[in-house]
Amino acid sequence: MNSAYKKEIRYTLIFSALLLLSGHLGLIFVAFPSLQGHMIFGFPSQYIIPVLMGWLGLMAITAVQAKLTNQLDDEIEALDGVADKS
Amino acid sequence: MEEQKWMLEDPTIGIIFVAASFIIFYFIGWYSAKQAKKSSDYWTAGRSIGSLTNGLGMASSYMSLATFLGVTALILKLKVPFVYMWIQFGLSIPLITLWYGTPLRRMGAFTPAHFVRERYGLRTSYVVAAFMILIMVMYALGQMIGVAKVFEMLFGINYTVALVCGGALIVGYVAIGGMYGTSYNAAFQMILMGIAFIVPLGAIMKAMGGTGWYFPPLLYSDMVPAMLEAVPDFFDMKYGFKWYFSLLPCLTIGAMGLPHLGMRIYTASNLKTARGAMVWFTFFCGITFSATYTMGFSGVFFQATSGSTIAPSDFDKITLILNSVYNAPWVLAFVIAGAIAAGLSTISANLMAIGALIAQDIIATIKPDLSEDKTKVLNYCAIMGGGLVAILIALNPPTFLVVSILWAFGMAGVTVAPLVILGVWWKQANRYGATAGSLIAGLMYIAVSPYLFPNFTIAGGLPAKLGMSGALLCVPLCFFLVTTVSMITNKIPSLVAKIPLEENKRLVDSIHGWTVYNEERYNSTMAGVIVAVVSLFFVIWSIMPSGWTA
Repeated sequence: MNSAYKKEIRYTLIFSALLLLSGHLGLIFVAFPSLQGHMIFGFPSQYIIPVLMGWLGLMAITAVQAKLTNQLDDEIEALDGVADKS
Repeated sequence: MEEQKWMLEDPTIGIIFVAASFIIFYFIGWYSAKQAKKSSDYWTAGRSIGSLTNGLGMASSYMSLATFLGVTALILKLKVPFVYMWIQFGLSIPLITLWYGTPLRRMGAFTPAHFVRERYGLRTSYVVAAFMILIMVMYALGQMIGVAKVFEMLFGINYTVALVCGGALIVGYVAIGGMYGTSYNAAFQMILMGIAFIVPLGAIMKAMGGTGWYFPPLLYSDMVPAMLEAVPDFFDMKYGFKWYFSLLPCLTIGAMGLPHLGMRIYTASNLKTARGAMVWFTFFCGITFSATYTMGFSGVFFQATSGSTIAPSDFDKITLILNSVYNAPWVLAFVIAGAIAAGLSTISANLMAIGALIAQDIIATIKPDLSEDKTKVLNYCAIMGGGLVAILIALNPPTFLVVSILWAFGMAGVTVAPLVILGVWWKQANRYGATAGSLIAGLMYIAVSPYLFPNFTIAGGLPAKLGMSGALLCVPLCFFLVTTVSMITNKIPSLVAKIPLEENKRLVDSIHGWTVYNEERYNSTMAGVIVAVVSLFFVIWSIMPSGWTA
């Protein structure tokens, strides 16, 4: 199997993990209560970090995701059938 | 403290704003529909929508009436845990795009049920289409009732008249515009509701003494000390690990199963613009959601510091109340127009999904040789029929249908998302596994909800009502059933002989962009075993009673 296929699987798993983490940071704060209660930008940490990651963090991840998966489409097109024939 | 029952004092300007917005919606619908050249363009806008418009439309479909009414009410009740519940909704389009949006766009799908039909066969697609229609009706019903109540308040007419007139107006512009009209209207509605929500909120914050009024979504930290003094538990997490974890199967995977969100991706002009739209979606969704938390925060702050107590029945009107207290009447009228736009954008997306499911996934499969003219008539009838049913049900809605929209998300996560995800990524998934998974897990999800057997739930209270505990059990149950039943039935030659296995496998390769077939791709038995084992673990964990409370 060629590298583009492996990359597709890898990207999907890595970006899924990053996306889920950015949208479910509440889980981290409830699993590790010592992270709660610190003031960041004037807000409690368990509030502002999930809000920021759920918006700006998510936007940054999706921008990278879009760029890399667009490149991957081109790679799949270029490698389509190449490794399979060898 | 005096408890205030809120009423709209002068609806005249509100009526003018709402009437003007409807004229614009109809014009956009009529004008943009002229681009449709053939009947299939009606459902996919000719697959021609660019990144920015699509990103706005995606966000708009998600910003329901709840953004203006329900969410702030729930922040007033639940405080910060509800914010966590809402934050994860931003994941929907990125996850759909990543896991199945672009493959289905490449395939040329109309709805996720269309893919299910190609991948698992007609009977499985009917099961999935039936669940999807139920989910969309529940979703549209909540919005239809909400819009009718706003009309009732605005025009001073009774609920039935408000519902019939409002419903007919909505169905009319959706039917005229099709997906072209819906897409461009949704983009316009997102801009309208964004401005109508965020700008007046800045004025409210300024009037309350907030120094960050010029950027309401994030700059209200100077109000935090006063909030902590008045409501010390506002930022408390309150619930246990399982409560927060259950948001993932119920709402995150649930949103991945909602057909009207996936359908937005199929309207993209190409895969790159679909991914560009995803980035725009996170921006518009994030800024509006963040402003919603600020509005909820301001509502709690107002109640705690002003000496006024808002009646619990008015919790959902906090956005309107704050605007009526701090802003001019014309601003409140603009906010009401924004709220109606929010409801409309969601209903129109729901109606498009219902119409496409009926026309493309049911009738077109029974009568595949309809002429172009008859197909066009069918498209209009499907939308109007779907809208008519929603209006009729909303006249006197059965209790089991007027459950939380969030419960419907869980239903989509149980019955639709696992089938589509595994169908795209695992060649060994077959129709036996898919049908068993969707039916058994779907019926189990209904059975463990408090709406059928109140004493037979996984966890009581809010997690059961919102479908969180049910989804924590049934989403992994569906994944477990699809994988195990598929692996078992793939070993039984008499059953394998009844399905076009090779054709299905080739479909999986082709929707990922491969034109030369390779048997090894997306075909790992080990991956199926891992998914089954992990799913079984979560099924067992979900039925253990502990973990819901802190």
